[in-house]
This record gives sequence, C-alpha cells and structure tokens, in this order.
Amino acid sequence: MPRIQFDKIRKSFGSNTVIREFSADIPDNEFLVLLGPSGCGKSTMLRMIAGLTDISDGELRFDGELVNDREPRDRNVAFVFQSYALYPHMTVRENIAFPLIMDRFKGWYHIPILNSIMRRVIAKRPEVRDRVTEVAEMLELGSYIDRRPKTLSGGQRQRVAVARALVRDPSIYLLDEPLSNLDAKLRTQMRAEITALYQRVNKSFVYVTHDQVEAMTMATRIIVLSDGEVRQIGTPEEIYHRPADTFVARFIGAPAMNLIPVRLRDGRAISDSGAQEIAQAPAHLSPGPAMLGVRPEKISLAEHPGSGVLGYISAVEHLGGESVIGFTLEPSDPNRLVQTGSTETVHYARVPGTAQLTVGTKQWFSIGDANLSWFDADTGLAATPDRSGQEVELRSARTEAPAP
Amino acid sequence: MIRKIRKLPGRVALFLGLGLFTVFAAFPVYWMINTALSTDTELYKTGQGFWLKLSRLGDIPAKLAEVPIFSWIANSGIVAFGTTFLSLVLAVMAAYALSRFKFHGKGLAAFVLFATQMLPEALLVVPLFALFASFGLLNELHGLVLANTAFTMPVAIFILKSAIDKIPYEIEESARIDGCPRSGQLTMIILPLIVPSVAAAAVINFFDGWNEFLFANTFISDAAKWPASVGLASFVGQYATPLSSVMTAAFLFTIPAIVFFLIVQRQIVSGLTAGAVKG
Amino acid sequence: MATRSSTQGSPPPAVRPGPSSVSERTLAKPRRNWTPYLFIAPALIYLAIFLLVPLARGIQLSFTDTKLVNPGGGSFVGVDNYTQMLTSEQFWNSFLATVLYTVGTVVFAVLIGTALAVLINRPFRGRTVVRAILTFPYAMPTVAVALIFVWIYNQSSGALNRGIGVLGLGEVGWLTDPAYGMFSVVLATVWKVFPFVMLVVLASLQSVPEELFEATRIDGADGLSTFRAIVLPHIMPTVRIVALLMTIWSIRRFEIIYLLTGGGPVESTNTLVINIYRQAFSSQNLGLAATIGVLGLILSLSVTVFFLLVERRENKREASA
Repeated sequence: MPRIQFDKIRKSFGSNTVIREFSADIPDNEFLVLLGPSGCGKSTMLRMIAGLTDISDGELRFDGELVNDREPRDRNVAFVFQSYALYPHMTVRENIAFPLIMDRFKGWYHIPILNSIMRRVIAKRPEVRDRVTEVAEMLELGSYIDRRPKTLSGGQRQRVAVARALVRDPSIYLLDEPLSNLDAKLRTQMRAEITALYQRVNKSFVYVTHDQVEAMTMATRIIVLSDGEVRQIGTPEEIYHRPADTFVARFIGAPAMNLIPVRLRDGRAISDSGAQEIAQAPAHLSPGPAMLGVRPEKISLAEHPGSGVLGYISAVEHLGGESVIGFTLEPSDPNRLVQTGSTETVHYARVPGTAQLTVGTKQWFSIGDANLSWFDADTGLAATPDRSGQEVELRSARTEAPAP
Repeated sequence: MIRKIRKLPGRVALFLGLGLFTVFAAFPVYWMINTALSTDTELYKTGQGFWLKLSRLGDIPAKLAEVPIFSWIANSGIVAFGTTFLSLVLAVMAAYALSRFKFHGKGLAAFVLFATQMLPEALLVVPLFALFASFGLLNELHGLVLANTAFTMPVAIFILKSAIDKIPYEIEESARIDGCPRSGQLTMIILPLIVPSVAAAAVINFFDGWNEFLFANTFISDAAKWPASVGLASFVGQYATPLSSVMTAAFLFTIPAIVFFLIVQRQIVSGLTAGAVKG
Repeated sequence: MATRSSTQGSPPPAVRPGPSSVSERTLAKPRRNWTPYLFIAPALIYLAIFLLVPLARGIQLSFTDTKLVNPGGGSFVGVDNYTQMLTSEQFWNSFLATVLYTVGTVVFAVLIGTALAVLINRPFRGRTVVRAILTFPYAMPTVAVALIFVWIYNQSSGALNRGIGVLGLGEVGWLTDPAYGMFSVVLATVWKVFPFVMLVVLASLQSVPEELFEATRIDGADGLSTFRAIVLPHIMPTVRIVALLMTIWSIRRFEIIYLLTGGGPVESTNTLVINIYRQAFSSQNLGLAATIGVLGLILSLSVTVFFLLVERRENKREASA
C-alpha cells in the first residue's frame, strides 16, 4: 500500500559501510525487486525496510511517516525468509495463526506460561480459525494443516511461509530470495504464484534476488545494487534497454550485453580491436574513447557479405530455436586452446537456429543503429540521456568525472 | 593374514587392559551391593563372600528402617528441585542474552561465569556462613538452594547457550515480524526448541544439588534437616549402625543419579566442556 | 563509481534541514538497547551476591584476625596472616599435598581416561554395556564413593587388604598410614573422575574424519602409527582442556578427601582446601582460613594462566605448521 521513500539511507557496521547513501521514492503497490550479486547489500536493505536492522543514517518513510525507529510489527510488514524460518515446533496451522494471535495479544498475555495458554485460547477463536483455514486453502495447504514443517517438502514449506505472511493482510510484503532453495521447475511455478499473489492482494512487494530472470519477470521496478551502491533504479525495460552503467549492462541479460571498446572519430565508432567501423557515433558524444553496448539479439547475420562488421567465430551454441554465436573482431591466435577466456574480446550474437555456422570461419554481422548504449570509457556510466527520471543525474556525474 | 597374526598379541593386550579397567570401574559399585547384602558377622568376623547373596534381598526394608534415609532423601529432593528450578530460570535468561546479543561487558560476563569454576567452595563457605547467619538462612533447606544455585547456574548457562546458538536467527526475527516481543520469543519460540538441552541442564543441576555436601554439612546442624549426603557421611568411620544398612541406604541414594546420568550422558559431556572451550 | 554517490551526498543537506526532522533523529538515535542487560542482570546480580561479595569478604577476612565465635568482629592485621602462613611449615606441607594430589589425580585420570576412550572408540560386541559400566563412577554421589572406599580400605576386613593378603602381602593401613594416605585418596579420586575424561575425549574422537583413517590404512600404517599421526593430534586440544579442568577441579576438591581422611593421616592429605576448612571450623580462625583460600585461588589462577599460555603457543605452532 504505502509509498516507500528512502532518504539518504546509509548502513554501516562499525567502520564497514554496507550500503552507501542513496535515495529513492517508490510509489504505492509496486513490485520492487532489489537485484544484485551476493554481498551487495540487498538483503541488508530489505531488513532495514522490515525493521530487523537499524538504519545508520538517513530516513525511511512509509507514506511520508518516518519509520526508522518503529518495531517491525508497527510497520505492518510481512517477511518471507530465504530459509522460510517456520516455527519447527508448531504445526502448519499454528505457524499461519501465529501473526494473528500476536495481533490479539494484550500486554499481560505475554507473561511466561500464561502466553502459551493464551496462544491456544486465541487460536480457537472462530475469526482466527476461519482466516487461517481460508489462507491455507488459498495456498492449497489444506491437507497438510496439522503437519509439522519438518514433514513438508521445500515447496510446501515455501507456501507456509507465504501463507504466514499473507494471513495478517500486511501493507508491504518483503521477500528475501524466497525461491533460492527450490529446484528449477518449482522455482518457475512459484514465480508465477507469487506474481499472481501480487496481482491479487494489490499491495507493495519488495523482493530480493540475485537472479535477473526473477527480477525481469516479476518486477514492476528494479533497484540494481552492487558493493552497497545503487547502480540504477527503473522498470525492467529501462534496466534492460538503457542500463545506467556497464555493471548493469553486464549483469542483466544472458548472454550479457556486448561491450565493445571503441574510439569515436568523425561521427563514426571504430572498434579498438580490429579497427572496424561498428556504428555511427551519436552527435551528443564528444570524440575520444567510449564503450559501445549492444544486446546480442540486436546483432544479426549480415544479408550481404562484405557489409557490416566482420567477425571471427569462436563459439557456436545451438539452443534449438536460436543459436548463440561467439565472435571476435580480429582473428584470434589459432594456437591458443582457450579463446573465450576474456568476455571483453568475445562478443555474442543471438541468431535464428537455422543458421549454419562453424567455429573458425569468418562471418559478416550487422548491428542496427537503434537501441545502442554508449558508456563513458573511464567511468563506465551511460552516456545516453537517462529518461527514467527516477534517479540520479548520471550526466552530471559524468561531466564531473575527470577528463581522460 | 600375516599382518593379522602379528597384530594378535597387541589386540589381546588391548582387550585385557580394557577388561581390567572395566573391573576396576565396576568393582566398588559391586562391592557396595555385596556389602549391603552381607551381615555384620560376615563383614567383621567370618569375612565377606565374593558372590552376591541375592536371597537376602528380602532383608532390605528392614535394613532401611535402621537409617532415616527416606526423610534425608526427601530433604535432598527439596534441595535438588529448588536448586534446579532457580538455576534454570536464571540460566535461561542469561544464556539467551549471551547467545543473542552483543553488548558492552559481554566478555566480562562470560569470564565471570568461567571463573566460578575456579572458586573453591571451601573459601566461600566461611563468608557465606557469616552472610547466611545474619539473614537467618542457616539450618534452612532454602538457604542451601541459594548457595548451590550460585555454583550450578553457570554450568546451566553454558549448556543452554550452546543450544540456543544452534537455532537460526531467522526464526526469532520471524516472530519479531509477527509481533512477538523478546520475552515471548524466548518462552514461546526458543524454549520449546531447546527442550533436550534444558532437560540435560536440569539433570546436571539436580544432581549437583542432590550430591552437594560441603554447604549442607556446614550450614545444617539439625539432623532432621540433613540431606542424604550429610546423613550418610555421618556414618563414615562410625560403627553404631550396621554397615550393611548404611550401604543399602547409600545405594538407594545412588540409583537415581546413575539412571539419569546414563540418560543424558551426551549432553552432560558437551555441556561441561562448553564452558571451558568458550571461556 | 564513487563519483556518483559523492556528488549525491556531498552537497550539504540544504533541501531537508527541517528542524523537526533533525530533532526526530537526534532523539531516536542514541537509544541504547537495554534488553540484553535485562536478561543477564538477574544471573549476574545473583552471582555477585552469592559469589563475588563472599569472595570479597573472604579476601577482606584474610587481612583480619577474625574468629569463628565472633565473625562480625576481628581487627585489621595487615599482611600478618600472609607472613604467618608463608613462613609456616604446616602451610607448605599443605601446599605440597595439594600439588601431589593434583598432579597424581590429573596425570592418572587423563592417562586412563584417554586410553579407555581410544579403546572403546572402536566397535566391538558389548561396547554399550562396557561404556555404561565405565561411566558409573562419575555418576555416583561422592558420599557413596567415600563410604565404599572407606570400607574397601578397611585395615582388617577391607577388600583391598584381603585381596593383597591372598598374594601373601601384609595388611596396610591405607587410610591410617601416612605413607599410603595420599595414594589411597588419589586412587579413589581417579576412580571417580576418569570417566569424565573418557567421555569428553571419546566425543572428540568421534569427530575424527573417517577419511583420515582410511588414508593412512591405504598407506599401510599400523595401529600405533595411525594413532600417533592422526588420532593424537586431533584429540590433543581436547585433552589439554580436560587437563585444565581436572587441575582446577582437583585444586578445589573437598568432599572426597574430607570424607576419606579429613586431611590425615598426620596431615599427609591436608590439601589447601581441607586446610581452609580445618582452620575455619576446627581452629576457628577465619582470618587464617581466608588467607589460605586466597593463596589457593592464586594457585588456581596461575595454573589457568599457564595453561592458556601453553594453549596459545600450541595454537600458534599449529597455525604456522
């Protein structure tokens, strides 16, 4: 429900900075994905939203209200842990009922021993019972309701964790890599279920993952993080088509965006490797070195040999419907056994599966001028005007970067 | 084949050694039972037989009647229960704090707990005697409970702390999200999960209280309030009561300790070393 | 990359200086979490009342001439008690008895316990029963141990003298002859405590990775060299810790000595702890008793520090190896 505002949020443990200062404003009812490699600080960020981790500096607001010092329960959030964190000594029913019971606890119910009695008394109230049954049915847990978590499969445990989050009808759902402990097939299924849940409850979701496929398929908005730094905030499309820097470009997409070191001269972009003209240089860029980003699907096989870019094929992967072709811009040393060692020099194209290509041969490729990304050669920041509007004056940062 | 034969004498020696020590360990226990089933004439005049006279099992009630062992054991039970209860209540909270929080003075607190293993009761018995005298706690079983708890609680803390350490944080965080305060997390989430360790700590503390001698011997002068340890010790080197009766009573006092010890042996070992390793 | 965040962060917060928000933050920020103190305080306060205050009182007593008949009285005598003790032959005898008792108990208990742990670590028929029997002594209440050992040691009718009588040896006053008093007490103590060593070492043995054994078996090593190369290094840290615990416990052990000999015969088993008790409750001299206690505590502390130093050196050596 609420709009989530990060205002110069920073987190450090002692002298170790985990999240560098950042600000963002996330509208209501978004499916926000925090995406980044492990150790980038995305879980810490989620825990700060939940109130499990203190915020070192800055202000976190839900609908304009400062929540920095609110206990998790007063933030009206639900949290699905990576390990599910089900209560091992409680049945599925008791697990799901626990948040409801806690809501109905008065202060003096918390007296030890009395609390265990009251827990059972409240669990028997019709409104609690019915709600638990309803949620359990919704997640198809009806037949397991009196089992303990230990006897359930991974997918079932996952559902119990979701049910426990759902039962209290919170305004924000926080999910910390909830699918990472599942096998690939179940993961795809649960991904769809969570998306369906999001559409059904129509609340704010914040979802942490290192899996870009999850991010791209589920998110309405993505924050890309690395090393405690926010790299980009935007919709999946923006992130995919207009990466803010080379890190994002490389992190999203499989295979990742091709990054071709070029030199801009006379309105043309000449590759450093092989000195071929790759594309036209955009007018707003000044001459000099730059990095050109091209998605593999934007590279196609040239219709007429002799025009476009000449590549030397170093790898061919048939995926059935399509093939991924690895190529270099200059002939590689045939005596080297491993030629795909550096991703800097091997580029990838995604072509129809019908194409017949062999490793070691030459091939002309054509690269469309549309949808190219340009990055500063030194800072790695995008040189295209950023239209997401959310974030970060990339261009100002760029202009302040020391001149090469 | 050759290798096996060469090894054989070594193996025989090893098993002989093992057998010898098993006899060494078992003999005094056996001898206690044997003595309990002998008559004083046999013990002091004709000589105690090596084999058990099981036909005399029927004499046991009569022998026990000569020693007020049941009221003494009741006193031991009161002291042991009190010690266990008080010690566990304090230990659960302290173990939770030590396992789950970072705070100033944590290292110091852990050191103080380890240091209690070093304090000789005999040094403390003198000032404690003075302290108890001024609070009217001498000659009271609950006074013994208070004194024993100071020595049993640290052991319980070590055992419970290492049990809590094994519970993933997420489970408590989950409870926190669900709106459960700290006290509830401890009593409704953690405690049910560490029941086996609580049981082990309870057994250890119970028998520390059950067996304790020094404080009881010093603080309790009223023979009616003696726990069994002091009562039985009063027979050492004293010949007015038949030795077989004393041994029967002593064996009765021993049985619960051995039974419970065998049940929670594993936890006792890990618990007793936890303190030393962590300290 | 740093440029971006710094450009964002470096301008002074001109946009959001609202005094309300500043006060919100300063109010909330320095909150200290008292919860852990709340949980640990009862235990620590309890220990302070029943251990630390008596300990402090004990140390204070050691500087006075307080008598048992008037525990509140007694005047300050400075270090008189200490000079008296450190120059008295009785104290040094007591110190020697403590060292003898401790060394004897620790060495035999650790050797026997470790050896038995190694022996019963390998599976054989009836292992569970043997292990249970071997742990009986530890579970037995000390008073019961004392009662049965006093009877076994009995000069005319005890099992021990009757046993060696069969071998043609004469009767020995195990608990009455000063030459045998210490031996008898150590024997009974070792009997009582070796199972602890055995159980702890056994637990450590069971964590020796099986592959290690297999590797040496393939290398063709025999039992003894396997033991020396693999098992011993693995259990050594545990054995050292157990030895430390055994030492500390031996220095402060009271019951079994008190019940077997009461410090006799002729003070041959009059360890520091027994000495404290006798000074306090027989000689009724609380000041001197406390002095012995403090000196005993210093002994315990030195042993611990020594062990910790050894431990650190060993750790360093293992780290560099």
